[in-house]
Parts: sequence; structure tokens; C-alpha cells
Amino acid sequence: MSEDTVRTRRDDGDERMVRSRRTLLSVVGVGAALTAAYGTLAAMMGRFLLPSGPPSTGWMFVTQRDHLGLGESLLFQTPAGATVSIARQGAGTAAEDFIALSSVCPHLGCQVHWEPQNDRYFCPCHNGVFSPDGTGIGGPPGDAGQSLPRYPLKVENQLLFIEVDVAELAQGPGRILEEPAVRGPGHDPCLDCRQVSA
Amino acid sequence: MAGERAAAARSAATAPLRWLHERLPISGEDLRELTNEPVPNHLKRWWFALGGTPAYLFVVQIVTGILLAFYYQPAPETAYESVRYITEEAAYGWLLRGIHKWGATLMIAAVILHQMRVYFTGAYRKPREINWMVGMCLLISTLMLGFTGYCLVYEQLSYWGAAVGANIAGSVPLVGDFMKVMLLGGDGFNQHTLPRFFVLHAAVLPTLLILLIVVHIAIIRVQGVTEFEFADEPPDKPKTFNFFPEHVMSELIIGLLLMVVLAALATISPPIMGPRADPLVTPEVIKPEWFFYVAFRWLKLFPGTFAVLSTGFIVFIMFAWPFIDDWLRRRFKKPEISVWIGIFGVLSIIVLTLWEALVAH
Repeated sequence: MSEDTVRTRRDDGDERMVRSRRTLLSVVGVGAALTAAYGTLAAMMGRFLLPSGPPSTGWMFVTQRDHLGLGESLLFQTPAGATVSIARQGAGTAAEDFIALSSVCPHLGCQVHWEPQNDRYFCPCHNGVFSPDGTGIGGPPGDAGQSLPRYPLKVENQLLFIEVDVAELAQGPGRILEEPAVRGPGHDPCLDCRQVSA
Repeated sequence: MAGERAAAARSAATAPLRWLHERLPISGEDLRELTNEPVPNHLKRWWFALGGTPAYLFVVQIVTGILLAFYYQPAPETAYESVRYITEEAAYGWLLRGIHKWGATLMIAAVILHQMRVYFTGAYRKPREINWMVGMCLLISTLMLGFTGYCLVYEQLSYWGAAVGANIAGSVPLVGDFMKVMLLGGDGFNQHTLPRFFVLHAAVLPTLLILLIVVHIAIIRVQGVTEFEFADEPPDKPKTFNFFPEHVMSELIIGLLLMVVLAALATISPPIMGPRADPLVTPEVIKPEWFFYVAFRWLKLFPGTFAVLSTGFIVFIMFAWPFIDDWLRRRFKKPEISVWIGIFGVLSIIVLTLWEALVAH
């Protein structure tokens, strides 16, 4: 057997090995990519078929839209007892012109109210001040970075609704505790007292 | 003794295979014979896989479409809300709807590119005239799938798109009114319309498409794929390679790449909800999907009946092209005449599409 023949056979063997290694790598590589891609997709498809749970919140009727005048606010109580201050801050008729915020001051639980004259929410207990969107900007809530929780609000067919927990909806309608009025300096009896004493 | 036990174990292990083979007497050799259709070498060039691409995308459309149908409700009162639920609330609904929407766009683009490749390589010539016509049926069915799917969303644009489409059908002389009534299930858009579009989109047209694809592929297997020779190929190179596993591997990789592209497109440009359909208010600007821009612009350029009839005539010319091309080549003795006509056709489509895309009215 000549040396050439021996070398050729060895080369053939090497080539066969390289070829089979390449085949193995491409089969494993493509197989892994296919499994990863379609496996992920299959998992997503399975999750898609599982219906998303029923909504956990629903819309609760508050009052007629035009019952609340510009600058006025009302105090609404949900069936579970939460009190919500709903104010008309804009001149328009869309949901953006209204705002519904928890009326409970996050500092010590006093009732806050909307002051259109000062463009702020005010807590008379410790002079807590909140911006028109309920962010604490002065007094103890401002110092502590506390804000008034906001309720999503919508206007539909000239009626005002706020979004509450669906369990509350089942308990029946809420009620208006304080009818719409402009509150604040000159209107709020407590503040009037303070101004007089000052 | 040990040998007997080993033989018994081997026999038990292969029993299910033997059971299967007795009922389905197909050997590995038969399977190899069935799958190993020799594939011409030029299919190693990726742009020749454009025929497999729409087929792959069609499978994606079937799978995502079936999933969307689990939630979609084809009625005027519920359609928009069900699509909104899919898009905004159902887990991964935005992704699956996005893949379905982008899959349609890519499928139509791939069908058009495939047809252009077949055209410019002259692969429709004798003996492949019939398969060209089957391909034309596939193109029209795919466009109809796109149209009916677009109308199902019940957005302002899709609603008015359906209305305009039905009126176009209605302007065909003699049979127009009948076609419009059949499409809408009445004289105008009514409670029967969306179920019709849905059945066409989800049952009739996909079934037709599957049948046409089977015929298309069967004819390819009977006739063989058109073979091309390239100047840069060495003369002793083998003319074909194996369908399995080599070509299947290429198609799988193309499929994976398409999946990545679809997922990326659906993420970067996810489907959104336009305004709900309002039958009393026509939007300022009505646009169909991009693949109908060319027809839409054509309709604006010419009076109604002429535009519709001329569109029908162009489609007829496309159907009969293998025979017209044959006649032209014999008459004028210039083999490249079809290429120049093709370039003119493609440029016209591009210009009309861009024109429609760039102007509001």
C-alpha cells in the first residue's frame, strides 16, 4: 500500500467526520431554534385561549353631568362607605373636565374639598394642600409626598360614572352626601371662622 | 438462554412497529421515494423560495386566524368590541392579531414577488400555462382574503372599505347588482353582512386556497420545477439536490426568519383600534389596504363602469398571458418583448400605488 493511498483514506475519513459533525450541528441547531421559537409561540397561544378573567371593576352612576356646575364639587359615598369628591374643573362636557378623588386626606383622614378660587384641594385640619389632580403639594401630605387616590371617571349619555370595585356594584347604588356647591374661602364655614379670627 | 431472552425483548419492543406496518405497509424506502423529489440546484438561491414563503405564511394565517376566531363575534353590535377585547384584554391578543395582520401583508407581498419571479424568468411558458392560471386564482383568492379580513374589524375605515368594495362589485354591468346583494346579504350593509364576510374569510376562501395550493404543487411535481442554469456554475456540478432534508432545512430556516420578522413587526407596529364604524358618517379620507391602492387609484382616474371593466380586462390579460406571450413571440420574433411589457406593468403598479399612498384624495 503506497503512502498516497493511506493519506487519501485518512483524508476521506476526516472529511466524512467533518461532514457528519456539520450535519449533527445543523440538525441540533435548527431543531433547538425551532423548538424555542414555536414552543414560545405555542405557550402564548395556549395562554391566549384561556379567557382573561372578568373585569374586577365596573362603572357606578353618580349624577347627571350638568347637575355639577363649573367650579362646583359634590361628595359621593360608595356602598362600601368610601367618600369621593367629584369636581368640575373644566368648562367642557368631557370626562377630562371632571375629576373624582378620594375625599379622605391621607395625612389623618379629614375631609378635603375642591377650592376653585385657589385651584387646589384643601384639607382644613392641618392645611394640607393638593394640586388639581390630587398630588400633595403643601402641608403634611405635601411633605410626606402623599396624594389623593383617584377614581377613573367617564361621561356617557350626559351621565357621570366613576369606576369602583365590582363587589361594590353588587351592593347597590351609592349616594350623594353633599349636593354640588362651590366650596372654599368665602364659602367654607370653617375657613370663614379662621379668616374672621385672623 | 440469555440470547433467547434478548430476542424476546427485542420482539416485544418492535411489536408496535410491526402492528403499524401490518396496517400501513409503507417502508422507509417508500417514504424516501415519496419525499426525495430531486430539487433543481437554483432553489439553493434563497429568492427562489418565494413560492414556499406564502405557503408558510398561509399556515401562520390559519393558526392565528383559528385562535382569533375563538373570540371574534361577527355581528355589527359585537364585532368591534370583540376585536377590542382581543387587542386590549386577551393575553397576547395584540401579538396574535398583529402577526395575523402583518402575516397577511407579507403573504400578499410574497405572492406578488413570486408571481413576478415566475413572470420574469418565463417559467409560465409551455408546458406550465395551466399552473400560471392556477397561480392567478391563488393571487385573486389571497387578495379576497385580505379584503374580507380587513372588513371584519368593523372600524370606520374597514366598514367604508366594505361599502366601497360592494359598490364596485355593484357597478359591473348585468351581474353587478346580483354580486352586490350576494356579497352584502342585502342591498346595503346589514346584520347579514359581517357573518357573510366572516364565512368567506374563515371558511370558503381558505378551503379554496388549500385546494388551489394542492393543485399548484401537484402540477409542479408532475412537470418538475423549471430548471435554470447560471453562468457562474461549474459544468460538472450536480443538477439537483434532495428535497429532504436539504430543501426542507432551507424552508424551515426561512420559516423561522419569517416568524422573527412577524413578531418584530407586530411588536414595533402593533394593531390598533380605529374609531368604531358609523354608518351615518363617512370619514374624510377612505383608504383600502395597501394592496388595493393600485385598483383604488385606477377607479379614481376613470369613470366607474369603464374603470371596473378595464380592471377586469387587465385581470383577463394576466390570466391568458402565457398564450398572449406565445403569440407575441411568434408574431414579432423578439423573445424579450414580455420582459419589457412586464417592466411597464410593474412600474405602473408601483406608480399607482405610490400615488394613492401619497395623496389624501
